[in-house]
Amino acid sequence: MATINNLSEQEKEILEIIKTIPDPEVGVNIVDLGLIYEVSYNETDRRIDIKMTLSARGCPVGDAILQQVQTVVSNMYPGFYVDVDLVWEPAWTPELITEDGKAALDGGF
Amino acid sequence: MQAGLSTKNAPSPKVVLPHYAYAAFAFIAASILLYFSANDLISTTLSPKILSMVHVLVLGWASMMIFGALYQLIPVVMEIKLYSEKLAMASFILLGIGTPLMAISFWTSFIGATIMMMTGGTLVVLSVLLFVINTSLSARKSDIKSIENRFIVTSGFWLLIAVSYGLLMIIHPNILSHNSLQIHIHLGIIGWFMTLIVGVASVLMPMFFISHQLNRKYLTAAYWFINGGLLFLLVSFYLKANTYIIVAAATTIIVGFILFIKYNYDAYKKRLRRKLDIGMKHSVLAFVLLFITLTAAFIAAFGDTFGNVVMHKAMVIYGISLFFGFITSLILGQMYKTLPFIIWLKLYQDKVGKFKTPLPADMHSQKVADLHYQSFVTAFVILLAGLLFSSVLLIKIAAILMLITALLYTYNTIKVLAHKEKLEPLVFPKPKPIPKTKAN
Repeated sequence: MATINNLSEQEKEILEIIKTIPDPEVGVNIVDLGLIYEVSYNETDRRIDIKMTLSARGCPVGDAILQQVQTVVSNMYPGFYVDVDLVWEPAWTPELITEDGKAALDGGF
Repeated sequence: MQAGLSTKNAPSPKVVLPHYAYAAFAFIAASILLYFSANDLISTTLSPKILSMVHVLVLGWASMMIFGALYQLIPVVMEIKLYSEKLAMASFILLGIGTPLMAISFWTSFIGATIMMMTGGTLVVLSVLLFVINTSLSARKSDIKSIENRFIVTSGFWLLIAVSYGLLMIIHPNILSHNSLQIHIHLGIIGWFMTLIVGVASVLMPMFFISHQLNRKYLTAAYWFINGGLLFLLVSFYLKANTYIIVAAATTIIVGFILFIKYNYDAYKKRLRRKLDIGMKHSVLAFVLLFITLTAAFIAAFGDTFGNVVMHKAMVIYGISLFFGFITSLILGQMYKTLPFIIWLKLYQDKVGKFKTPLPADMHSQKVADLHYQSFVTAFVILLAGLLFSSVLLIKIAAILMLITALLYTYNTIKVLAHKEKLEPLVFPKPKPIPKTKAN
């Protein structure tokens, strides 16, 4: 599976789609928050795999975020099997937030 | 099922939401009762009106809100389902009926063992018993054995002892000679409210600030200082120990709170969310007000060493600043951090990704929230001045401002509770064509 620094064009497109999803608590998109670890696009198997985390265990809106990733990507790629895998290792740290994410957190809401 | 997700463990909103609604109205009632207690507050710590107000405040407002929020938070903190929603609902009804019965009886018959008081008191004890059973059995199911969980479970047991002891004081007033009132008050304040708040706030504040890598040793140490110090204090009260022993016990507890404040201050300093929303503004303010409470408590621990007037003022400011200051500000803030999410999940959980949905933060009126922040700060400052300078007029003005705060807060609570689903179509980019598979 490709980490988000090493994505194919197709996988970058998927990441852009996921970027439309905000974390409902902070209002910043989950890609810039560093929650998406890996994206894999497999044309032959018609399968998209996404590995992601949450900023805190027991996050009250975690399910809703995962559901949203699943729905948005499935809508964009009809006929593909989309698997969203929640992982806790490696643990999320603030260093994973992108510069855009930091700017949005600083005063964007 | 994904490990660590709490949404699927969340209780039915029908269990949680009535607690929020009841608490908001109890806050209005307590503010009105504060107005009528103004005369008494400058001369005594114990009168029918003061007892009535205090019990509406601590049971109807603070405990009711904490019960409701905790049913929602247990799945977050312990990563399990609440043990029983039926027990939670029964506990709500018992507390909801018991509190006004007690308040009316205090108002009309002081500490007399009236039928109304006995009924109300028994209902409250039963409510707390169900709450303790529910939280303890939930914690037993959980694999997470964190210090925060220990704070939560311990606080429930202290509360059960506090309310049972309170009822015992009504049945056997002769135990009042053993400093029972002080024991009852501190079981409630330190054992229940503060122990619980330390446990819950230590989970929520870093989560909302988005702060990581905090030193959890502060929390473990805080647990032992607060609970050990409380035991020390209770025994000292019972044995009528001298002032210095009481001060030593109070200092132990205060050290525990300072460790807790340090933990949360680190979370605040390391926060990634620089700008504070209304929920966090009220929460941070609560911590500032806690210093006033701790200072007053420390002075009160010296008893009449500095004279009766100082002791009276310190004791009243200790209690009033704790409940109308720290705890009220924390609840006012945390409503915005919990209730909108409960409603949001209820209405939009299955719609996300399919429709454009509002954010939880869009459900309340920001203008009203800002207004009640300002009215609350003004009310508290005037209240403090009124208590310091023994001015009935200032206390009454503060009570009116506190009532305005309560009404504005209740308006926003109802606005969130009554939020109607607002869905807009989501405009998707054109779906990707399915690539044709190559024929072999």
